Amino acid sequence: MRISTRAGAVIASAALAALALASCSGGGSGGSGGGEATGDNKPEKLTVAAWMDFPPELLQSFEDEYGIEVVVNSFPDGASAQTVLRNGLSSNGAGLSDVHLIELDWWTEMMAVPEDWVELPEIPDRWVDWKVKQGSVDGVITGYGTDIGPLGIAYNEEMMAAAGVATDAESFGELIGGDAASWQSFLDAGRQYVAASDNYYIDSLSSAFQAAINLLPAAFEDADSGQPYELADNAQIEELFMMFAEAAEDGISAGIPIGHADWGAGFQNRQWASVVTPAWMAGIIAENADGVPGWRVSSTFPDGGGNWGGSFFAVPATGENTAWAVKLADYLTSPDAAVQWFHETGQFPSQLEAIASPDIAETENEFFGGQRLGQIYGDLAAGAGDAAAGGYRGENFAGIQTLVTDGIRQVESGSATAQEAWDSVVSEFDALGFDTAD
Amino acid sequence: MALTSALPRTPRRIGWGQRLSRWDVKVSPYLYISPFFLLFAVFGIFPLLFNVVVALHDWHRRAGMGDFVGLDNFAWVLQQPLFWRSLENTISIFLLGGVPQLVLALIIAAILDQNLRARTFWRMSVLIPFVVMPVATSMIFGQVFGQFGILVPNLHALGLFTDSSSPFFQDRFLSHVAIGSMVVFRWTGYNALILLAAMQAVPRELYEAATVDGAGRARQFFSVTIPSIRPTLIFVILTMTIGGLEIFDEARLFDGGGTGGGQGGTDNQWTTVMLYLFNLGFGQWQDRLGQAAAVGWIFAFIILVISLLNFSLTRRISSTDAAPRRPRRRSRSASTAGQPGTPSVIAHEVADDAMEGAGR
Repeated sequence: MRISTRAGAVIASAALAALALASCSGGGSGGSGGGEATGDNKPEKLTVAAWMDFPPELLQSFEDEYGIEVVVNSFPDGASAQTVLRNGLSSNGAGLSDVHLIELDWWTEMMAVPEDWVELPEIPDRWVDWKVKQGSVDGVITGYGTDIGPLGIAYNEEMMAAAGVATDAESFGELIGGDAASWQSFLDAGRQYVAASDNYYIDSLSSAFQAAINLLPAAFEDADSGQPYELADNAQIEELFMMFAEAAEDGISAGIPIGHADWGAGFQNRQWASVVTPAWMAGIIAENADGVPGWRVSSTFPDGGGNWGGSFFAVPATGENTAWAVKLADYLTSPDAAVQWFHETGQFPSQLEAIASPDIAETENEFFGGQRLGQIYGDLAAGAGDAAAGGYRGENFAGIQTLVTDGIRQVESGSATAQEAWDSVVSEFDALGFDTAD
Repeated sequence: MALTSALPRTPRRIGWGQRLSRWDVKVSPYLYISPFFLLFAVFGIFPLLFNVVVALHDWHRRAGMGDFVGLDNFAWVLQQPLFWRSLENTISIFLLGGVPQLVLALIIAAILDQNLRARTFWRMSVLIPFVVMPVATSMIFGQVFGQFGILVPNLHALGLFTDSSSPFFQDRFLSHVAIGSMVVFRWTGYNALILLAAMQAVPRELYEAATVDGAGRARQFFSVTIPSIRPTLIFVILTMTIGGLEIFDEARLFDGGGTGGGQGGTDNQWTTVMLYLFNLGFGQWQDRLGQAAAVGWIFAFIILVISLLNFSLTRRISSTDAAPRRPRRRSRSASTAGQPGTPSVIAHEVADDAMEGAGR
């Protein structure tokens, strides 16, 4: 008896060791996806990785309908979700959730290997056309669109009035150039504002610069080959860069972009009077500027407007329950869900039915002085036209964009002149040694 | 062993149970110690060896192994200005975080070594910063050093740094000071407790003798305490060197990923080598695992050199006043150096020193 217990212990520990090794070397064979979502393969729970708040009823009603618990793996911001996803993809899906939220800015990078993602069935007439196109790889849909980011400008009426440059939405629109508004006229308005005021015109010119980049048809990369342009020869970027960098030299910006430790405090301390505000940022501003009156959203935007960001739900092919995950992604991007999200976080939907819904157009926003943000952003989206679809984004778009916006930040912080910053950005780009397009 | 000698006498049949028990005796000890070695093999040796392979190849995260490139990756890294900048940053942050940390830890340990009321409470409380998560530490310090935190507005009031954003997120040296202060905050208590443990092992007679000889508190600290805890001090300095050079969390989380996007500042003001490695291989969009692995090896070598340098320096500093006077002591101190757990020899030697120093 005693011996057999011991033998058992030996076998058990050997088995444990073997198990430990096996689980370390594991990896999974990479699911093929597809299949039908039936009662037979129904999982007990599904996981979804995202970084915004979920409307509480949303997940509950999915659970009620299918009896599947949905767990949200919540990230503090898109960047950390991106890191986890990126590393999971390169290790055969280790640590990934069943459904992942992916932001437009790093969408192409994640889709570099389309086989990593489950092909999603077409759902006719749900989204605006260009959103579907953005969410597809070679004509195959791999992501269901959530929100879009029509570009607007939030400005503080009281601060503008105190500086004597504008009083209401209309006069602010005129200040930044009216119908003919361009980035140049927008920045000149800033020079005018800071001359008459002792705070800053804008939170961060690097953010504004990022918005301007989003309006370009092909900012950094050649659409045919996908290869980056030589940055030193990229005249349109250089011109834009110098325009923003010179404005930064003139001190119109506080140099504190969203995500910075000081951003929220800057609102509370009334440090700046305007912020380039895509639809999804309006709710974030309302949160950070809580208790500071006078914030409004202008329906005028330089160069006719455009789109910044907006996300997709996609299903990694390595997941165990891809069929049900597809169902969940479908559910999370339904017009109903989009409306709920609009009320929860202020994200502007990409779903046609939701956009048209009076529930969105007629909701008055308390923080923004009763403005109908759904209406304003709807108009901005419609006004942007084709530009709303954004330009071409290759695999290195996000990286190069970070590089050049960092250059603007150097000028904002006073550690470099416009020319020095551009030179340093170019040399950093050269050090990366890309095969550049001719 | 008795079993083996019994074997020839019972050649015909060995029971299953008996055979098992023989295996048990032979194999079990190895199985009992195996978890450590298995884990070490999987998480220690294998990555180490694999890293050599990665460093010698063109290696991308998604595409995996590419061509064999020999030492090209190493050459590439050594030619990157950013690598050298990050090395400067690392050493600067290490010095700004390490030196005050050691001095403070010694002082705190010395205070805790006294007869305090509620001793355990004080001892536990110095460890609290260490228990706080690095993320929380970074957030707290981000607030402290931020434009609207408790520090910068006061500096503004003094007429300093009236820029639009916090100088601690802009200026290279000041950002090192800020990150260094996080390191001090986090690790001082931990080191103080280790030093305290060593101080407690110093025989009280030495202090009594020193007191009788008329040595004050400060004199006792430098002539009795420090020499007595030398092995521990060396240990603390070595681990601090290695840990301090590998700094990553604080630098990555400083500024909440704002201006620098977690990469170490807009102009890489506080990119440390580990952060540079991470950005090369994983964090940024560069996807250069081969080069990142090369950074790892180059940096491991640098840490080794700095640690050895530090080790020899530490040994020399605390034995300077003893060595020249009597040659025989040099040989003795060499034999005890780096050997924790020989307090009697050290104590004896220290007693000599203390008496002599006090009587001189």
